[in-house]
Amino acid sequence: MKLYRIVLKDIVRRKKRVLFAALGVAIGTMTVVGILTIALAGQEKIYNQLEKYGPNLAVMPAINNVDTQLGDLSLGTLAVGENYIPEEKLPEIRQIADGEIKAALGITDEGNIATLAPKLYVNTGVKGTSMMVVGVEPEEEIKIKTWWKIEEGKYIEGSDQVLVGAVAAKLLALNTGDTVDLNGNTVTVVGILEETGSNDDYQIFVPLETLQKAYGKEGLVSSIDIRALCNACPVEIIANAINQNITGVRAIAVKQVAEAEMGVLERMNKFMLALGGITLAVGLFGVVNTMMSSVNERIKDIGIMRAVGASRNQIMRVFIYEAIVIGIVGGIFGYVAGTLLAYVIGPIIFAGTDISFVLQYLPLSLALAIFVAIIATMYPALRATRVRVADSFRSL
Amino acid sequence: MLEVNNVSKIYGEGTAKVVALSDVYLRVNDGDFIAVMGPSGSGKSTLLNIIGGLDYPSSGEVILDGKRIDNLAENALVDVRRDKVAYVFQQYHLLPSLTALENVLLPLIFCGANGGSYKKAMDILKKVGLEKRAGPKPSELSGGEQQRVAIARALVNEPSLILADEPTGNMDRKTGGEILSLFEQLNKEGHGIIMITHDREIARQAKEIIVLQDGQIAGKINSEEGGGTINAKEKVV
Repeated sequence: MKLYRIVLKDIVRRKKRVLFAALGVAIGTMTVVGILTIALAGQEKIYNQLEKYGPNLAVMPAINNVDTQLGDLSLGTLAVGENYIPEEKLPEIRQIADGEIKAALGITDEGNIATLAPKLYVNTGVKGTSMMVVGVEPEEEIKIKTWWKIEEGKYIEGSDQVLVGAVAAKLLALNTGDTVDLNGNTVTVVGILEETGSNDDYQIFVPLETLQKAYGKEGLVSSIDIRALCNACPVEIIANAINQNITGVRAIAVKQVAEAEMGVLERMNKFMLALGGITLAVGLFGVVNTMMSSVNERIKDIGIMRAVGASRNQIMRVFIYEAIVIGIVGGIFGYVAGTLLAYVIGPIIFAGTDISFVLQYLPLSLALAIFVAIIATMYPALRATRVRVADSFRSL
Repeated sequence: MLEVNNVSKIYGEGTAKVVALSDVYLRVNDGDFIAVMGPSGSGKSTLLNIIGGLDYPSSGEVILDGKRIDNLAENALVDVRRDKVAYVFQQYHLLPSLTALENVLLPLIFCGANGGSYKKAMDILKKVGLEKRAGPKPSELSGGEQQRVAIARALVNEPSLILADEPTGNMDRKTGGEILSLFEQLNKEGHGIIMITHDREIARQAKEIIVLQDGQIAGKINSEEGGGTINAKEKVV
């Protein structure tokens, strides 16, 4: 028989008291787990939004604006450089982007990781109105514009099919089935996009090759959007690598709006964790209090144990074992209650979040609860070991 | 051998000062059976606590087997409690959550004993006549049975000295007599016993009776010499 079994037996006898102490620990743990669970769900939601923000990188032709002057007289700026990127640079760009991602994430398998969506912009007259017509690779484009929804019709499937932005469709009174003349080439409207609130609403999307042929821009694109498909992807590094290795192009890491949002979330997390810490500290006092009375009502038992040969360390161990049990019970309760708390409060803070049990918080919750319980037990236990054996009997 | 030299114990200070023991001298040879008598508050329990290292004297010294124990640090006193002295209390002081057997095992657990502990504890329970009552918890045992468990617990570490504070105080005559004969048997087996008692009949079984009054030894009776009278205020120095 070991010391811990004596402790367990005693805990069974005093279950109510132990449960009460565990409750104190559980309340603190609950708050921390609740906050962490909500924060995680919020983070996931923002990550999801991040994904929707589209490209992480934009590659554009390198154009230098040179100020021209004659004496003191400014003659305006002159754009120097190509307006287009040759399509043959696409594989190079892909190689760099994939290479950097694989290096960053430690992926070794072949295959494409980043999505490259080349675009050709042509400003042209459509039905007598000046419109921006965008040549896209339909399959790649939809991977970047994940938020696109077709209001009417379907997505581009053939080379002579076009997709029209919501506002453009209204302006030009276009419906699915209508035909549009693009520099002598007839294409059919197969789908109209739902309004997105972005430039896409004013644009007409045509398969890249069709637009290139129609306007004699074969093998040329205006820009390439790159989506790295991971939030940890080193977009800045990719941009630098592209800029250093490929001439005639300029890669820009898109500063995501979401980054700011993440910052807000981070600050909020810190604030909430501070709150959780305070709750935990309050819980700690509760547990100290409970342990105090627990020690007091067991002064006699402690005296007995010491009279029959228990050392101060052994008495200390008795209380630490008890604290561990309190911590385990409190930690489990706290974990479950914290998740339930998140389930109730989470949707209020981040509308539309899915709260789920985060299993990896269970060990965290247990560790936290045991830590708190042990800390709370230290002082009462230390006091208990200081009581003279004779006094512990006399107090009765 | 136990020597108690000029031990005093004072509680409180100033006007609240209470002298529990004053200049007590006592010598107990190995295997002696000493009864301590005296009215309530005469300092009997205090004396016993100081002898066993449960309490510290205010002055004087306690020497057990040639070693001073009154000035020992708490950690060193633990060894005294484990190896040399054991207690039997009037209130039994058993742990309520443990069975009779587990209560007997307790000293062995704290000693870190391993292997054979169960057998040893069972043997001792058998010795006190409780081999069939090893499973129940103290609340399920009678007073006499509880005291037997407490005695078994005291014996398990084979102490040279057993300190008993009114072990039969809570019992009827018959049960008390049984417990007493158990103590006598232990004394015959070589355990030294210092027992506090109010019962003169019980005290008569002891080799020597010490009478305490107001914290001082008021008299000593050697029962084997058949002395029935107490020499009041006889100061033994």
